[in-house]
Amino acid sequence: MSRRVGAATLVGVLALAGCAALPQPAPPVPGSVVPSSAPAPSASADGSQLSPDGFDAAQRMAVRIRNIGCGALSTGSGFAVDEHTLVTNRHVVADSAELELSTYDGRDVTAEAASTAALADLAVVRTVDALPAAPVLADADPAVGDPVTVVGYPLGRQLTVTDGRVVGAVTDPLNENLGEVLVTDAPVEPGSSGSAALDAEGRVIGVVYAKNADDMSFLVPVSTLRDLLADETAFAPAPACG
Amino acid sequence: MSGPSGPVPSPGPQPPAVPPSVPPGGWPAAAPSPQPAPTDAPPPARRRRPAVAVLAVLLVLTLVGAGVLGTYLWRTSDSWRDTAADWEALAREHGAQVAQTQADLEATSSELEATRGQLATAQTRITELADEKAQLGDTTAAQQQLADYQTRVSRAAGDVATALTNCIDGQKRLIEYLGDTSRYDADDLARFRADVERVCGAATDANAALQRELAR
Repeated sequence: MSRRVGAATLVGVLALAGCAALPQPAPPVPGSVVPSSAPAPSASADGSQLSPDGFDAAQRMAVRIRNIGCGALSTGSGFAVDEHTLVTNRHVVADSAELELSTYDGRDVTAEAASTAALADLAVVRTVDALPAAPVLADADPAVGDPVTVVGYPLGRQLTVTDGRVVGAVTDPLNENLGEVLVTDAPVEPGSSGSAALDAEGRVIGVVYAKNADDMSFLVPVSTLRDLLADETAFAPAPACG
Repeated sequence: MSGPSGPVPSPGPQPPAVPPSVPPGGWPAAAPSPQPAPTDAPPPARRRRPAVAVLAVLLVLTLVGAGVLGTYLWRTSDSWRDTAADWEALAREHGAQVAQTQADLEATSSELEATRGQLATAQTRITELADEKAQLGDTTAAQQQLADYQTRVSRAAGDVATALTNCIDGQKRLIEYLGDTSRYDADDLARFRADVERVCGAATDANAALQRELAR
């Protein structure tokens, strides 16, 4: 009798095991297999460089300066450091009866007042109208070999962007600045004075103020610029001609 | 599944109806001992019937189970076939969408490239126009400076001419007065001479100013 019960139990277990091994009915097919949350694109078109009009930040911050003096006319470059302030060279705004500013896209910007630094070939110009864009100043001066990009108006002509590298630091050959200045091989021309020199991240590392016969350009380092901008007494109203 | 199987045991020899004869004077020699009859084995007819019944029940159960299993498998197979068809339809739908999206992407990429080209052209043109405007501004400023210069020179030249005219007129009148000094008071003549010298001095100053303007 116990053998029969055991056999029946065994048969039941085997039957249940067999049922478990049977294929289950197919689950219903979902209406859609599209993920509810849109996946992030695997590649972006470098959106960080986009701007309202396609010009990059380096071009948008550049300003062309026309110095109308007393019987003289000269041009130079500059760049915005905030919405109503631009930096250029002292010699760009010197002996001026009137300063006329224009942006990368040809818009005129009214200048309000110019101030020059005594200890470096630097000047700041306040503007009535807002400037399109302002760069970030680098925290430290560049090292030898670092890439440099110069954005300005050589010969007072079209806005250009030229590249080079920092080749060293020397004592200012023109004796216009205290301390050392940077030397780069980025090509500049008269009219490039006051141009911003940028590093690979687009931060300002210096201000172009001169070149020599070997086509080496000289920069006021950003550390000097920072020091002077932080010192309210460093700049005095620029003397005007006439 | 299986019940009792194997051949049914044969019933064996029947016991004799009368005792075997015993030889006289002794024990029966070689007399077969009587076979004991089995006490627990059922009779053959009674043992065959349950086995058949069990087999029949098992067969019925097997057939029923096979039927249920077959139906289940049939329905499951249908379910999977329908599901596979649905998945295929869904896959084809998404495949069509992917194909359409790829076509749209290619068209959009092409338009994007064209737009980038247009943007680059527009940027170049904007830069050129900004430069042209700046050059015009420079030219205008230079011309304005020249016009201012010419105005200053003209004004200075006019001042010189006026001062010279006054000087010459004064000197003519002084010459006339000096030609007939008896008619004029000496102090008046001296005062008039001083005035003429002052006017001619102004002409000299105006000429100097003109020369300074010309030298700029």
